[in-house]
Amino acid sequence: MSERLPALREAIRKLLPEVEGVLGLRRGPAGIVTPHLFVAERAGELDALAIWPKEPLPDVLRKILKAHPTAKLAVVCRRCEERGIVEMSKHAQIDLARVTLIGLQCTRAEAEFCRCAKPATIHARITVGKPGEGVADRVTDDFLKKDQAGRLAFWKEHFLHCIKCYGCRNVCPQCFCNVCALEDETWVETGRLPMPVPPMYHLVRAMHMTAKCVACRECEETCPTGIPLAIHFRLIARDVEEMFKYETGAAIEQSPPHFLVLEEGEYERTGLPH
Amino acid sequence: MYEPKIIGFLCNWCSYRGADTAGMARLKYPPNVKIVRVPCSGRISPELVLRTFREGADGVMVLGCHIGDCHYATGNHRTAKRMPVLRNLLAYSGIDPERFYINWVSAAEGEKFATVIHQFTEKIRAMPPFSEVVG
Repeated sequence: MSERLPALREAIRKLLPEVEGVLGLRRGPAGIVTPHLFVAERAGELDALAIWPKEPLPDVLRKILKAHPTAKLAVVCRRCEERGIVEMSKHAQIDLARVTLIGLQCTRAEAEFCRCAKPATIHARITVGKPGEGVADRVTDDFLKKDQAGRLAFWKEHFLHCIKCYGCRNVCPQCFCNVCALEDETWVETGRLPMPVPPMYHLVRAMHMTAKCVACRECEETCPTGIPLAIHFRLIARDVEEMFKYETGAAIEQSPPHFLVLEEGEYERTGLPH
Repeated sequence: MYEPKIIGFLCNWCSYRGADTAGMARLKYPPNVKIVRVPCSGRISPELVLRTFREGADGVMVLGCHIGDCHYATGNHRTAKRMPVLRNLLAYSGIDPERFYINWVSAAEGEKFATVIHQFTEKIRAMPPFSEVVG
């Protein structure tokens, strides 16, 4: 981790004259790491540059780009954030032409922490660190071994602790809708705790994250009660890859499956009756 | 023996007409399915299916036009894309995906409609009530 920080600082310093700002993480005076826009006039702030703990930047980037419609920015991104930025550009939230990606490669330990299958950036022009190998997601694989009753009991136990703080939605780098189904009384009843079965809040969110979840595991990290939320998202991501041959945030030109009509062979893979 | 409560979302142009055809041919099928007519099976959002289960349905069925026959050209492509994902999600949540049924019934297939309703009702009847399973 130590050798990546100076290298990243150098990369940002070199890039600063070319862009209006570089979005990264900065360690504040109290030691808390927050997103920060580094600009050429205050290059000294780069001394406080930080890379860990990670913090999702795509949504911050989206808001800055929206507020400044002509600004050209660079952003420090790990593979998950890169996926998020690519997905947002597909949903017309970020103009990729105005963004320079600085890819920060995750270490083995960081990949283990996130149970990340693909931690190496692929779109970033400038990269810092050595591309790492992915690790198996044991939590999800173990969950898959459970039978139906076991799965139901597993989620009932976990969702019993859910306090519906909406933290997982708020931190999600892919939740950018102006109108949120989770705030609609029709689907998610205010004050209904513990969760009903089926747990509307979590399943509606899982459906809305189909082909969008970038596997950053921020929802799990932010959850005050430690619910392993990523399990749903990752299992669905596997299904989407199998059925629709779509990998979130991989190919910039490939449209998400819900934008398109059925293509050759897709129907056969959905398992629906003929 | 308990009588299962089943909600069937039927598209206006094919499956609902298919139910009419079955009725006109005086085909017998179990009365457990409460039919909700919708403009297109693509209208059935995952939220709607999940809420139907939350309100206590033992089974949910979505019937639409055959692929290629949709009144809105590609409305049922949407169904074919998100319903299988929802089905898998139910399985990952510990809810039997067999309680959720998707099929295509055209306006002429009255017989198929009766068979589909019959088979699904019997399948749900053989399972314990949903409220008992989820406790």
